[in-house]
Amino acid sequence: MNKPRVMRQLSNRWKTMIHAGIWFKDPPKDVSLDGYRIDSVIQYTDLVIGIYFGIVVVALIYFIYAYRSSLGNGAVYDHGDKKKNVIVTGGLGLLVFCSVDVVIETIAFRDLREAFWNFPKGENVLRIEVLPQQFAWNFRYAGPDDEFGTSDDIIPTQNHMHIPENTPVVVQMASWDVIHSFYLPNFRIKQDATPGMITAIWFQATEKGVFDIACAELCGNGHYKMKGYLTVESKENFDNWLIENAPELPDDDWDDWDDAGEETGIPEEWGWTWKELK
Amino acid sequence: MKIHKDSFWSKHIFSEDHKTIGKQFFWLGLFFLFFGGALAMLLRWQLGYPEQPVPIIGKWMWPDDGGIINPDIFNQMFTMHGTIMIFWAITPLLIGAFGNFLIPLQIGAPDMAFPKLNMISFWTMFLASLVLLSSYMLPLGTASGGWTSYPPLSSPAGGIPGLGQTIWTIALILMGAATMMGAINYITTVVRLRAPGMFYFKMPLSVWGLFLASILNAVFVPVIAAGLVMLLLDQTIGTEFFIAGRLASGDPGDPLLFQHVFWIFGHPEVYILILPVWGITSDLLSVFSRKPAYGYKVTAIAMSTVVALSSLVWGHHMYTTGMSPLLGKSFMFLTLLISIPSSMFFLNWLGTLWRGSIHFDTPMLFSMGVIWVFGLGGLTGLYNATVTADIYLHDTMFVVGHFHYTLAASVMFGSFAAIYFWFPKMFGRALDPFIGKVHFWGSFITINYVFFNMMVTGYAGQHRRIYNPTEYDFLKPLSGLNEWITIFAFFLGIFQFLFLLNILWTISRSKICEKNPWKATTLEWTVNYPIPHGNFDEVPIIYYGPHEYSRPDIKDKDWLGQNELMEVKKWQM
Repeated sequence: MNKPRVMRQLSNRWKTMIHAGIWFKDPPKDVSLDGYRIDSVIQYTDLVIGIYFGIVVVALIYFIYAYRSSLGNGAVYDHGDKKKNVIVTGGLGLLVFCSVDVVIETIAFRDLREAFWNFPKGENVLRIEVLPQQFAWNFRYAGPDDEFGTSDDIIPTQNHMHIPENTPVVVQMASWDVIHSFYLPNFRIKQDATPGMITAIWFQATEKGVFDIACAELCGNGHYKMKGYLTVESKENFDNWLIENAPELPDDDWDDWDDAGEETGIPEEWGWTWKELK
Repeated sequence: MKIHKDSFWSKHIFSEDHKTIGKQFFWLGLFFLFFGGALAMLLRWQLGYPEQPVPIIGKWMWPDDGGIINPDIFNQMFTMHGTIMIFWAITPLLIGAFGNFLIPLQIGAPDMAFPKLNMISFWTMFLASLVLLSSYMLPLGTASGGWTSYPPLSSPAGGIPGLGQTIWTIALILMGAATMMGAINYITTVVRLRAPGMFYFKMPLSVWGLFLASILNAVFVPVIAAGLVMLLLDQTIGTEFFIAGRLASGDPGDPLLFQHVFWIFGHPEVYILILPVWGITSDLLSVFSRKPAYGYKVTAIAMSTVVALSSLVWGHHMYTTGMSPLLGKSFMFLTLLISIPSSMFFLNWLGTLWRGSIHFDTPMLFSMGVIWVFGLGGLTGLYNATVTADIYLHDTMFVVGHFHYTLAASVMFGSFAAIYFWFPKMFGRALDPFIGKVHFWGSFITINYVFFNMMVTGYAGQHRRIYNPTEYDFLKPLSGLNEWITIFAFFLGIFQFLFLLNILWTISRSKICEKNPWKATTLEWTVNYPIPHGNFDEVPIIYYGPHEYSRPDIKDKDWLGQNELMEVKKWQM
């Protein structure tokens, strides 16, 4: 009596399974200003290498079919070492280089110049310091005085980063212990955070929502769950959130705040204040 | 001819005969290939069925965790999988076994230039293997910092407990010593011991590949050895070469220095592994197309160009470390340059098939498989060479899929082709062709599914070395695909047992086969099995290149051995 339903469930499970096994998977939704550049260079590469690999496969299959020994035609005694042959191989090599490599390189260099290595400057830019540790993300905002390393720095709960929509964000990072990598799949970016050196990356969100922050560099047994949340919200909400997270101002100096820091697991010292990078 | 008197020990254990040493490397490599493969299966289980008990063996291996692989064990497993597959499986199989076995035989030498060094090289490697395996007996387990073992994670400052990481470093230093001994030996042998008439451009391309790989080994293994010694000092006596302080303005050590040292060696290393395969594939395509290798000189020169370029591209492993824009662009340009020589010898492979007479023996199937998997593996390197695309794809499963296409699929298919092809010369018996074909088709379909879809999951964002991908929301849609990859990986594993059974069955059962079953032209096919210590009765004299197939001026056969003097046209030599 139950059999048909079991069968139906089974066949549904198979349908999902088969769909999972052969259907192409899209990357996570792009919510950044410049993520499309990475998607499009990948798509161009897909296209050209698809064409060239297609040609190789067609040639391979045709040769296997047309020159199989069972036809009894015998092979042609040809070393392929005449000047003509070398020019053809070299020419085809150059053709591949020009149509694939040179184009990809041009696109990549343009994108680096225009976007990824072109750090935004000015009043509008939000600056955030990231200090990863095993296995959590710490964030620091400059606070009202717009300077890091002062008593009004805003340090929210671990693993929670908020940014306003449509605002360029520059993130500067150094690691507390081992090498980590700040990975935002929805923004198509990734930057290693290394102890002893400062690295930086910038991005701009175009959509509201909560997105994953992942660690992409092996950092120990908790690597897989070194996970954070990036909340993109409106400017007003973001400002409110900053105020909510503002430190309670101490009476005289900021020693009191240090004690508070230990309870949350956030390192006492950051090790660096914002450094203008060239 | 030198006469060798061999006792049991000097004949089978501490042998100085390059063929015996080659076989010793062969068994060592085969053992570790299956060991590393078993680790891969367990890794795939965890990725496909996260945190579910491993069937059958789980309860027995990890009773405390109820048969579930825990994160510590997982990290140890992928560290050991990478280390073992690269340094203990592929290197001994291709460079140790075939380097040893083929170089003297194919260039017409009685043995290696330094037979004793050769013997010491194998036993150093054996010692390294024992040291590496001994880390499984440590209470806190083996190394778990990845095969790259970046400090500070791999140093005491990094929080990996126990001695595993130190033992790993010592094992790798010993392995490096063995590799250097081998490399010096191979280079000297090729330079000094070629038979009369065996000019460089008459050597088989397999020897070219092994020779070039040895040059890279001799140049770059010392670099990583220096880095590993510094790492060992950091791990044991408290130096701080690679350990920076917690403050960004703090201590003088530099974690990035290790990455540079590692990849200056590490990128040539991938060419060290694949160069022999390029050479072997070029030769085998020619043998089974019964046609001279197309553009032999171009292939040899293109391979040499890749060798030269390979030392200038290591930075493409480090685009996301925050390197200077100028460096990033330079490394991208230099990396892309490699595609010119690579596509030239790749086209020559197709040129060899063109107008040939193609025989579909097992070694040929695997060689044509190399065209396919290396084509895909090479082309997908473009994404990783592109600085912008790599910002997204770096450290994802895309990279894992890409280097498995080149290092696992291409190199393993090349090794399989070589094993099927030279087995009759190494062990006197031909492997069963039917099981061989099942092995090929089974492996070809599954290996493509597994590694292609690894790239797909990487493109969809899955980063590598994570214990449980379902931790992240953006990876949840991938769990079905990960399960499928695991299923196909298990089938891939099962097909390798066919191969193992084929080897064991052939050695124990089948009859000694003829001297030259493939009708090949190179010198190793002119000697009878078992080849005596000293190889050739008299020094062979070489008249022809290695690919004289289907010459129109000889009638009764379609090949001409390199040392066969055609009576009519003596003047042609």
